[in-house]
Amino acid sequence: MASAAEHKIEAVDLTKSFGNVEALKSASLYARPGEVTAIVGDNGAGKSTLIKCLSGYHAPDDGRILVDGKPVHFGSPLDARRTGIETVYQDLALADQLTVWQNIFLNRELTRGLGPLRFTRRAAMRRQAHDLVSGLAVNVPSVTSTVKRLSGGQRQAVAISRAVMWSNQFVIMDEPTAALGLRETAQVEELIRRIVGDGTSVLIISHNFEQVMRLSQQVWVMRAGRVVSGARTADVTGAELVAQVTGANSFG
Amino acid sequence: MTIGTVQETAAEGRPAAKASPWSSRWHRVLRVAALEETWTKATAPTALIVAFVVFSLVAPNFATWHNVNAMLADAAIPVLLAVGMTFAVMLAGIDLSMAATLALASVVFGLGYQAEWGLPVSCLLAVGVGVLVGAANGFFVGRVRIPDMIVTLGTMGVVMGIGLVASRGIPMPIADATLRIIARDSLGPFRWNFVIVLGIGVVLHVVLTHTAIGTHLLAVGDSMDASKAMGIRVPRVKLVGYMIGGALAGISAIFLILYVGSTQPAVNTDYVMKAVAATVLGGTSLFGGRATVWGPMLGAVLLTVVQTGLTMVGVEAFFEPAVVGVIVLAAATLMRGRK
Repeated sequence: MASAAEHKIEAVDLTKSFGNVEALKSASLYARPGEVTAIVGDNGAGKSTLIKCLSGYHAPDDGRILVDGKPVHFGSPLDARRTGIETVYQDLALADQLTVWQNIFLNRELTRGLGPLRFTRRAAMRRQAHDLVSGLAVNVPSVTSTVKRLSGGQRQAVAISRAVMWSNQFVIMDEPTAALGLRETAQVEELIRRIVGDGTSVLIISHNFEQVMRLSQQVWVMRAGRVVSGARTADVTGAELVAQVTGANSFG
Repeated sequence: MTIGTVQETAAEGRPAAKASPWSSRWHRVLRVAALEETWTKATAPTALIVAFVVFSLVAPNFATWHNVNAMLADAAIPVLLAVGMTFAVMLAGIDLSMAATLALASVVFGLGYQAEWGLPVSCLLAVGVGVLVGAANGFFVGRVRIPDMIVTLGTMGVVMGIGLVASRGIPMPIADATLRIIARDSLGPFRWNFVIVLGIGVVLHVVLTHTAIGTHLLAVGDSMDASKAMGIRVPRVKLVGYMIGGALAGISAIFLILYVGSTQPAVNTDYVMKAVAATVLGGTSLFGGRATVWGPMLGAVLLTVVQTGLTMVGVEAFFEPAVVGVIVLAAATLMRGRK
């Protein structure tokens, strides 16, 4: 492997068990800055557990996580977030009945005042959310509408925008287009390209091999808790990826 | 890339808005009118106006300032309890212990008053008891994670028992000059107790809409998973919600004492039903996450207006629980599935 500083984030020999189930067995991978790095693998391969270790949701039993070449220890998602790692969860973690801007600033509200007399700066939050969303997620109608009135693609765009708002460093996405139609998938992919174009590194889990080929520069294959191989996306074909995931063969 | 997109959006949006500001505004009005949120919010005010007009027509003395003012004063306790209940319901919970808390708070108020600790200390005791019961509710619901119905049913029993034991079930007359002023005198056109309740409502409205904890209460009620993922401490938020509900039950105890002139160790469970009815009428989602403070306040006023109106047209008071029960079911049916 290349030297650590070349990697935005690096997982080294991560191991994680839940009771008797070994979800991760010494899994290692890295993501280069300014790239889309994809993780593919069958259900139960350990993809979600791996990214949950990287986002601070799980603490690995063993192994190291390096961010910009420096070792880090995450006790909670908040720790990861402070290091500049934002996660777009598969269920998006949006409160449906709150507005888009309230969701974007959820638990990071802008306030003024002191102690118990600390009031939220609603207008400022609305404005900032509007600036963010109108620049990134062109398909979202208005930041003052409630999330429940948005389509699946629009929600995804809101969740991704929120992640980017709080970290332009590194964003992890767990199957961002799994529940979307063709047009919305295209919109979300366009959004991902845009944030990568602005310098954000993205780590993405996807079941959609065509999407992996379209979006990513680096791809890792996971099987049974291990990262079994990795390659530059340009060097592999979709068919090879499928063979990899099913265990038929390796990149060699 | 980003800049290009912004310009595109602006170019699309602006000429349309300039060409016909009227039609775009009209469209927005229509769009808002079509939202079910708008209808949910409009339920209580609309029903209030309808009820008022109907009773004004059938009962000759209904639409007098004297009667309106009296109804607003009568509504003080239901309004307070409705707002308190709303803070539990917005968390996708319910607080069945409110009436028992009210009774215990009134008993403790009486004990403090009897010990000649003075009115301010007695009031603080009443509110303190409410906050304490609310904290117990919030602790068991949020931290121990027992379903809200069971928790508040349990605390209801405990609290009711303590109140009966401490008072031997005997009401204690409270004759206090200040309380009498609040009950009978007016500030400008309105009775003092209505003015105070309105003030409490304004404070809680600001808490709900202009503080971080207000947003977190709604977020937790909407989706615990999303709130957790965003790092919100869910048990703490639930604790705060139930404590606000308890505090309002404690304040209601003071208003009950100044209303009837004595402590009330007996639990009036009608209060709970009425509070739930007003909360639902006020557009609060029973699934949590959507609530206002003014909606349930109007809902409680509506219930008081209906109750007074029915009495004035000669319906027996015995019908009241049935009427409130029908309203609960009707309102909940109207709002069903509206998450």
